[in-house]
Amino acid sequence: MFLQTLLTGLAIGGIYALMAVGYSLVFSILNFSNFAYGSIIMLGSYISYFTMVKLGMPIGLAVVLSIVGAALLCWLNERLAYSPLRKRRASSLFFMISAMGTAIFLENLVYAIVGAHFYAFPEVFTKTNLTFLGASISVLDVFAIVFSSITIYALHTFLQKSRTGIAIRAASYDISVCSLNGVNDGALIGLVFMLAGGLAGVSGTFLGMKYIVYPTMGWITNKAYIAAVIGGLGSLPGAVVGGILLGVLETFVSAYVSSVVRDVFSFSLLVLLLLVMPTGLFGRFLEEKV
Amino acid sequence: MLEYIFGVISLGLIYVIATTGLAVFTGFTGLFSLGHAAFFAIGAYTAAILTYFYGWNFYLALAAGAAAGGLVGFLIGYPTLKAKLRTDYFAIATLGFGEAIRVLLENLPITQGARGLPGIRGETNLPVLLVSAALVIWLARNLIRSRHGRAAVAIREDFVAAEMMGVDIFIGRLRSLTFSAACAGLAGGLFAHYFCFIQPSMFTSYMSTQMTAAVVAGGMGSISGPVVATLIFIGIPEALRVANIWRLVAYGLLLVLIMVFRPQGLMGYREFSLDLVKGWFGLARKGGKA
Amino acid sequence: MSAGETNVLELQGVGKRFGGITACKDISFTLAKGQLMGLIGPNGAGKTTAFNLITGVYGLSEGRILLEGAQLSGQRPDRIVRRGVARTFQNIRLFRNLSVLENVVIALDCHEVYPLHASFLRLPFVRRREKGLREEAFAYLEAVGLADKSGARADAMPYGLQRKLEIARALALKPKLLLLDEPAAGMNPEESYDLARLVRRIHDEFHLTTLLIEHHMDVVMALCEKIFVMNFGEKLAEGTAEAIQQDPSVLKAYLGEGFKRAQHI
Repeated sequence: MFLQTLLTGLAIGGIYALMAVGYSLVFSILNFSNFAYGSIIMLGSYISYFTMVKLGMPIGLAVVLSIVGAALLCWLNERLAYSPLRKRRASSLFFMISAMGTAIFLENLVYAIVGAHFYAFPEVFTKTNLTFLGASISVLDVFAIVFSSITIYALHTFLQKSRTGIAIRAASYDISVCSLNGVNDGALIGLVFMLAGGLAGVSGTFLGMKYIVYPTMGWITNKAYIAAVIGGLGSLPGAVVGGILLGVLETFVSAYVSSVVRDVFSFSLLVLLLLVMPTGLFGRFLEEKV
Repeated sequence: MLEYIFGVISLGLIYVIATTGLAVFTGFTGLFSLGHAAFFAIGAYTAAILTYFYGWNFYLALAAGAAAGGLVGFLIGYPTLKAKLRTDYFAIATLGFGEAIRVLLENLPITQGARGLPGIRGETNLPVLLVSAALVIWLARNLIRSRHGRAAVAIREDFVAAEMMGVDIFIGRLRSLTFSAACAGLAGGLFAHYFCFIQPSMFTSYMSTQMTAAVVAGGMGSISGPVVATLIFIGIPEALRVANIWRLVAYGLLLVLIMVFRPQGLMGYREFSLDLVKGWFGLARKGGKA
Repeated sequence: MSAGETNVLELQGVGKRFGGITACKDISFTLAKGQLMGLIGPNGAGKTTAFNLITGVYGLSEGRILLEGAQLSGQRPDRIVRRGVARTFQNIRLFRNLSVLENVVIALDCHEVYPLHASFLRLPFVRRREKGLREEAFAYLEAVGLADKSGARADAMPYGLQRKLEIARALALKPKLLLLDEPAAGMNPEESYDLARLVRRIHDEFHLTTLLIEHHMDVVMALCEKIFVMNFGEKLAEGTAEAIQQDPSVLKAYLGEGFKRAQHI
C-alpha cells in the first residue's frame, strides 16, 4: 500500500512539478503570478484530446502539437495582455487583473464554443498496469514520471549550459541588468513564456489523460502556486521539489485520510506556509531595495 | 414592463452596494480579492437565517448580515494581511478562504446545505435598496475623503513610501477589507430577501469576477465609476438577455482590454461631477483641483 | 543632565549583516539637538543601510539605536515615523499619481487623530480639520517654493521640484530627526547650491536635527558642522569639516588628495 501510494504520488507529483516549473519560470523573471497559466494548461489538454481523438492522430504527434500549440498561445498571451503593461511599467495589480481577465476569457470561450462536456481520453493508458515490487502502477503514471523527469532534465541542461538558458537565469535575478548587458529582454521574455507554454502543454495532456478534460480544469494550477511556495518562490529547483513533494503528500492524505480532504489539505498547507515560512525550502529572500 | 425595469434596477442596486465596498478595497487600497462572493454569501445566509428561523425584524437582520460579513472579513484579513503577503498570494489566499466558506455553507445543518434556503420573506423593495445604496455610497465617499481614505490610497500607490509617511499598512488594509466585506454582507442580505431563495452555488467566483470587473472598468480610485459600471454590467446584459457564458467571455476580454488600453477605466481617479459633465459640453472652467 | 537627554539620535555599535555580507559594522555616533551632520563615504560604504536601520526598514544584527534616549531599534517603520523620524529617498518615492498638495497632506495625516467613525459620518469637526490640513499643507509648499504647483501631479514636475516636494513632505511629518538621503543626487551645480541653501534655511528656521548623506562635497562641507565618514561598512573618521578634509585616510579613501574646500553657504 505504501509503495503504491508513493508511486501514484510521484506520478502526480511529476505533473505538478512541470506546472510549478512553468509557473516559476515566468514568476522568477517578471515577478508576477500568471493567473492565466491554468487556462493554457487547459488548452494544451484540449489540443491533444482533439488531435488524438477527433482527428485520430497518434499520441506522439498529439503531444507535440499540444506542446507547440500551448507554447504559441502562452507567447501570444504575453504579447497581447502583458507586454503593453510591461512597457508602461504598470504595477503588479494591473498584471494580475490582465491575467485574470485572460483566464476568464479563455475558460469561458471554451465553455461557450466547445461546451461544458467532460471529455475523457481513451482508457488504453490508464487501464494497463505494470507491477513493480508488488505495487501496481498504470502505464500512464509511468509515462508521467518518465516524461516529467526527462523534460525537467532537458530544461535544466538548457538553463545551465546554453547561452539563452544562462540569460534566462540571469534575468531571473535582475532583468534590468540583463537588458543593460545587451540581452533583448522582450525576446527573452517571449521565449520564457514559450517554454512555460510548452511545459503547460505536457502537463495539460497528462492531466487530461489521468483525469478529465473540461474548461475549468485550469484551476488545478492552484497546486502549482502551492508547489512553488513549498519549494520557495523564485526558485526553479524548488518548484520541482515542491511539486513532487506536494503530489506525494496529497496522495498520502487522499489514501490514508480521505480524498475529500485532499484539496482542503493543500490549501491549508499553502496558507500555513505563507504565514509561517514564506520563503519555502529554497526561496530567495526577495526583499525590496529601498 | 415597468416592473421588469424596476427588477433590473433593483438587482443593479444590490450589486452596487457590494461593488462600492469592493471599490474601496481594490480600487482605493489596491488589493485584489478573488473570494468576495463569500462575504456576500455570509451576509445572505445570516440575514436569511435570522428572519426565517428566528423571525427577526428585517432591518435588524440586514444589519446583522452586514456585521457578519464584516466580522468574517476581519477574521480572514487579520492573519493574511499581518503576514504581508504579496498582492498575488493574498489574492490566492482569499480564493482559498472563499472556497472554504462555500464548503462550510454546503455542510452546516442550519444552512440546509446544497439544497439551499427557500421561502425567505421578500422584504427587499426598491425604496429600501435606494436608501441602502445611497447610504453605502455616502459612507464610502466620506471614508475616501478622510485621512483614513488617504492612507488607503497611499498604501495602493506605494506602500513603502506610505510606511515612511507613518501609515500603518496592516491596519489600513484591514480597515478597507472589513468595510468592503460588510458592504458585501449587506448586499447579500438584501439579495436573499429579494430572490427569496439562496443556495451556496449562487455565490461563485462568477460573482466575485463580476464585481472586480465592475471596479476595474469603473475606474480604480473612483466611487462613482464602479457604480455606473455595475449598473451597466447588470443592466445591459439583462436587457439584451445575453446568455451567462458569453457574458463572462465579455467580462474577461473587457478586463484585458481595459488593462491594455485604458487602465484608468471609465472614471480613472475622478468622480462624476458637474464640472465633468460640463467639460463634455465644453463648458468647464480650466484649472485642476487640489 | 545626562548626555542621553540632549542627544536626539544615538547609534551604539550598530551592525548589519545580509547573509555573508557585512553592510555595517560597529557604527557609533551621536547627534545632538539641532545639529546638522553629514554621513559620507564611497558608494557601498553602508550609508543608506545605516538610514534603513534607523528608519526600521532593516532590523539590526547588533547594537542599539536610541531616539532621545529611548530605544528605537526593533520597532516597525511606521511607528518610528510617528515617533519623529522622517527621511527622504535616494530614488524619489513620491506618490506619483497624486497631486503635489495631496502628497503633503498625507504626511500631515501622520499626526492627525480624528477617529474612524467621525470619518464615516463626516462630522463637522472633521470638515474643519480637513480644511485646516489643506491650509497647513499649502503653507509647507510655500516654505519650499512649490505653492504654485499645488494641483499638479507629483510626477509631472521636473526632477528638482520633485526633490523639493520630497523635502516638504518630510517636513510635514513634523520630525524630531530629519534624514536626507542624497537630496542633491542628479542635480547640476546650480541646483545643488539652491538645494543646499534650502536645507540650510530649513535647518535654521525649524531647528531640525538633520543627518545628511551626500556625494556633492561642496554641499556637505558647507552645511555640516560634523561629518561621519564610512568605508566598507565601518567608521573611517569623524569630526568637523576642516578636520575631515585634512584627514589623510579620508583623503585617500574618498575625497582624493587634491580636494579643495568650497565656499561657505
